[in-house]
Amino acid sequence: MKEILSTQGLSKSYKNIIAIRNLDLQISEGEAYGILGPNGSGKTTTLSIVTGIIRQDNGFFKWFGKEPEASQRRSIGSLIETPHFYPYLNLEKNLRIICDIKGMPYGDIGRVLETAQLAERKRSRFSTLSLGMKQRLGIAAALLGDPRVLVLDEPTNGLDPEGIAEVREVVLQQVHQGKTLILASHILSEVEKICNHVAILKNGELLANGPVKELLAEDEIIEISCDNNEELGQKLKGSPLVKEVETENGVLVLTLNEKVTAAEVNTFAFANKLVVHHMLSRKRSLESQFLELVKEE
Amino acid sequence: MRRLLHIEQVKLLNYNPFRITLGIYFLAFSLGLIIYPAVDKEIPVISLSDLFRFPDVWLFLTWVTEPYNMLLALIIIMITTKEFNNHTFKTQIIFGLSRTELLLQKLLLVVVLSLFATLLLGATSLTLGLIYSYKLTFKIAMENTWILGRYLVSSFAYMSMGLLVALLIKNTALSLLTFLAMRVFVDPVLFLILRKQEVRWYLPMRATTQLTPVPDLIGIFERKMNSAESIDESALDILPEGLPAWLNILLVLLYTSLAIWLSYRLMQRRRFT
Repeated sequence: MKEILSTQGLSKSYKNIIAIRNLDLQISEGEAYGILGPNGSGKTTTLSIVTGIIRQDNGFFKWFGKEPEASQRRSIGSLIETPHFYPYLNLEKNLRIICDIKGMPYGDIGRVLETAQLAERKRSRFSTLSLGMKQRLGIAAALLGDPRVLVLDEPTNGLDPEGIAEVREVVLQQVHQGKTLILASHILSEVEKICNHVAILKNGELLANGPVKELLAEDEIIEISCDNNEELGQKLKGSPLVKEVETENGVLVLTLNEKVTAAEVNTFAFANKLVVHHMLSRKRSLESQFLELVKEE
Repeated sequence: MRRLLHIEQVKLLNYNPFRITLGIYFLAFSLGLIIYPAVDKEIPVISLSDLFRFPDVWLFLTWVTEPYNMLLALIIIMITTKEFNNHTFKTQIIFGLSRTELLLQKLLLVVVLSLFATLLLGATSLTLGLIYSYKLTFKIAMENTWILGRYLVSSFAYMSMGLLVALLIKNTALSLLTFLAMRVFVDPVLFLILRKQEVRWYLPMRATTQLTPVPDLIGIFERKMNSAESIDESALDILPEGLPAWLNILLVLLYTSLAIWLSYRLMQRRRFT
């Protein structure tokens, strides 16, 4: 697959705060690449560097396998942090400026305003928009000219639940059309719903990096207890049913292998002449798994 | 180039402070056409309209309108700092302008505005000259038009310095204040402190104002009165001072290049978040 963006040893610090340290990322064509991390983990700094807003201290990055230059950004649609436009110009004129920068005709403006549900406001000044509308205009601007790559930094910031759903729908459509997406978010479910690849950042360092399915897989976890927990634990460890066995507050906590059900575990215990008197299915939420990853070290 | 200018044009023509400042600039110029002749009627012996004859009108109007260049510099400061305040430099970068293009955009505007100012001065001087001159020959009318070239350099220099101050300070009010203070306070005070030294003529603002010097008003009135004995100018202590013209122009061009080079460096390093 063709390389879209790669970074190598990217570092940036502000005075004595390290924003990102030695960041290596590889993003290929058609990927929906999520950059996940808590606030202050360096997501925005990373995206600001690759979109030219700030300069890195060390390391380098390449767009489309070439040294970065301004003209490459004309085929990328970006929204970094909050969108900024000329407050005294109306939406249409603001988008015209972007068309001029990208060197494209104004014909696409109507379409993107429609997509962002701002068509009726096209003659309003930017300063009269609500926060959510501004955010939607930012997304509209990113979609201008149907770019092959989208770089979105917290695109659902400041939107109401309905707006969040709409924006996700728009972004998902882009992904389904085969566009490359680079999405920074602190919301795990957002990355999980939209992306197929995820990089997890913490304190400016890459903690984990891989397909969403592997990294954020939902494990089936059950609590189980019988008269002889120790024996049951030993037997289960030797079986193909479970990945992990732990003891917590006098009950066994089992992490099941894929496609294994609680019933199978019960049958297994019974076959071993152990009668289970407590059993509770407890799905490990992605949220706690994400927190677990981020808490490490 | 045309693309950059077009973007700048959309931004500016819809920006009220720009329209207002430019309006004031126009007004200040037209005042020259309306008010000076009106004032003239109240001064009996010396007639101001003598100053509006060819070829003196070129020098006189250039000197009078030179301070208006400050307004143009203020426009540049305003629109540049606004790009920082509105974070629109950032927007323009992420959609594909380079840092060099951002600077080029503003420099093109500086060129356009200084050409515009020079043309306006030329047109005003020509109009007044045609109205008030007795003898009209092409040669006399075109004498002294070289001053327009100096005026062009002067307005270009002011705006370039304004651009540098704006990129350095980023805040609108502080930038305006700094620039005005340089012109009306810092430079004149330094000039006084250094009054014994030759170096005082090398101060950036002073060198720029010296480009369009005070015309020889006494000489003009003398010629009118046809008095045989000329007034001893050295006795009046108004002997022309300063650097030779070529050095003065060179110096201002040097300052302007320095301002542009520093602006370029700043632009390359700035964070546009």
